[in-house]
Amino acid sequence: MSSIILEARNVRYRYPRGMEAVCDISFHIRKKEKIALVGPNGAGKSTLLKMFNGMIRPDSGIMLFDNKPIEYDITSLRMLRKRVGFVLQNPDRQIIAPTVYQDVAFGPTNLGYPENEVKRVVTLALRHVGLEGFERRPPYHLSGGEKKRVAIAGVLAMDPDVLVLDEPTSGLDPSGSEDIMELLDELNHEGKTIIISTHNVELAYPWADRAILLLEGKILEEDVPQKAFGNPEHVRRAHLSLPILLELYMEMQKRGFQVQGKKPHTVLDMMRCIETVVQKTARHTCPGTITVCNVDQHGQGTVTTWLSFRSGIPVGAMGTRAKQRAENEQIQLDFTYGVIDKCILKALLGEDSLIMTTENMVDRVYRRVDAYVKESGIPVVVKMMDGGSG
Amino acid sequence: MFEELLEDIAQKNGLREVNAYVKLATGLGAIFLCLLSTSYFPPLFITIVLTMAILFLARVDARTYAELFVVPLSFAIMSVAGIILISGGHDLFWRWDILPAFSLSITRQSINQGVYVFCRVLGGMSGICFISLTTPMTDIFTVFRRCKVPETIIDLMMIIYRTIFILMDHVVQVYQAQVMRLGYSTWRESLHSFASLCGAAFITSWESGEDLIQAMDARCYDGKFALLGETRPVEKIPCLAVGIFLMLSVAVVILSGSSTII
Repeated sequence: MSSIILEARNVRYRYPRGMEAVCDISFHIRKKEKIALVGPNGAGKSTLLKMFNGMIRPDSGIMLFDNKPIEYDITSLRMLRKRVGFVLQNPDRQIIAPTVYQDVAFGPTNLGYPENEVKRVVTLALRHVGLEGFERRPPYHLSGGEKKRVAIAGVLAMDPDVLVLDEPTSGLDPSGSEDIMELLDELNHEGKTIIISTHNVELAYPWADRAILLLEGKILEEDVPQKAFGNPEHVRRAHLSLPILLELYMEMQKRGFQVQGKKPHTVLDMMRCIETVVQKTARHTCPGTITVCNVDQHGQGTVTTWLSFRSGIPVGAMGTRAKQRAENEQIQLDFTYGVIDKCILKALLGEDSLIMTTENMVDRVYRRVDAYVKESGIPVVVKMMDGGSG
Repeated sequence: MFEELLEDIAQKNGLREVNAYVKLATGLGAIFLCLLSTSYFPPLFITIVLTMAILFLARVDARTYAELFVVPLSFAIMSVAGIILISGGHDLFWRWDILPAFSLSITRQSINQGVYVFCRVLGGMSGICFISLTTPMTDIFTVFRRCKVPETIIDLMMIIYRTIFILMDHVVQVYQAQVMRLGYSTWRESLHSFASLCGAAFITSWESGEDLIQAMDARCYDGKFALLGETRPVEKIPCLAVGIFLMLSVAVVILSGSSTII
């Protein structure tokens, strides 16, 4: 288990002339975790988030970053804010400069990077969020999702260890929300700790490593999502809804089905639950193969050629660069979110599928599939795409 | 929104990628020559050339361009009418004594004077339009910094530029919400609605100000604002074209002297 990066000890905060927004909260967050703070409006989510980078100083109790208490003098706060990036809920409020480039460059410039270094990190950050070529655009020319990406890039340019996002999916359409969650996944995979606040239970449930349910400034539940959302009474009290997967699982239990194993975290888990109940798996054929294409290795056009021999094969893309490549080659993507699980589901139906992804995400596919194979005993095969220089 | 429209066009126009200095030199040079000229003809010449450039090089929609001229031109026509009727002269064409001490007249000199003023208005307008339709504000900021305008002023300008659109957006939304609830149906009602619109706009800008400080602090604000470092290279052909245009205009100014229309 990795070490603790952020910790709150008996933290309290009251707004001037207001009610207590955070009452005596203690918890910790480990490195490389994905945390979802979930709760109704006014539960104290945003207040708590703002404590992570010292925007709000608790009235009592202490906040620790990297096992050291947060200090509130200007120099320490600057260091803290460089390492804990904060993305506001409303990107219009976060984007301050008249062009995308200038906005993303804001942090690095203020950190005193030399000009060519600023340029390098900005290009990198924009590339990361898939907004290359947007440098000169003014922010009011961007869509909601693009603005959100600019806001994230602005924080990424400072290369923080922790990313804190207040309602990252508010105001976005479903596919835009999924794209953002996928981007957060990608960043997490590169080693960043990610903390989000949200009301969107369905997005938070499969995404988070741990969920913290907040109500009236107190922690109601704090655990892996299956358990945190597992108590319908608490979920109801927190003005949230049960994730549909959990609800389905509970309904099956109530009806006396002998569902085994742990509570489902993904659709894939749910399918296994159902299959164990039916006592007969839906496998009529041997499972299909998942082919992984590393877009960093394969040149332009190889995927198109590969696909031309296998018409109708479902394609998923993971990671911003892979999605861009698919767009460049005009490949119709079937999956852009939860790609690995969806491809395993296809494989279980005996269908082959293709995952386009980037260098550093390849092993993630292998790990996920291996874990599934070990758990279920169904031999799903993953292989790298051959041809090209790879 | 009109302001947004102008910036939108500037962001997308055909001369977007030309160096900002070249474009500014064209526009400012044109305005300067219009002011320098003592004849009606050079401003007219400049207007025609710049209009061609705006319509065919920058590919600005002709209708939009014409609309830009409506308001200033209507003012210009009114004042020119005044100039023609009031400023006297000796070659009399028409005269009307309204009052014993006051009369309206049209003379050769007054017509010349009126046409001269009108053409200068046209020339100046086309120069300003050329700059505002081809050079986005974002490029002008870079030029300002080069010209050693104090940083504080540039930073303020950039923040204002950025927030204008947010505020405008908000005002439009509030306004529409008011209209939907029949906020402007009667005179009294409109007065009341307008007042609350102003109040809402004030509160929003106050709040955005606080948010702005938070957003800047969250990203380690240290009094610095990044500027788009890159400037596009000064290319030969546009430079040459502008040189020729300005030289021709100077020649026209000199040759036309103080020739008049009649």
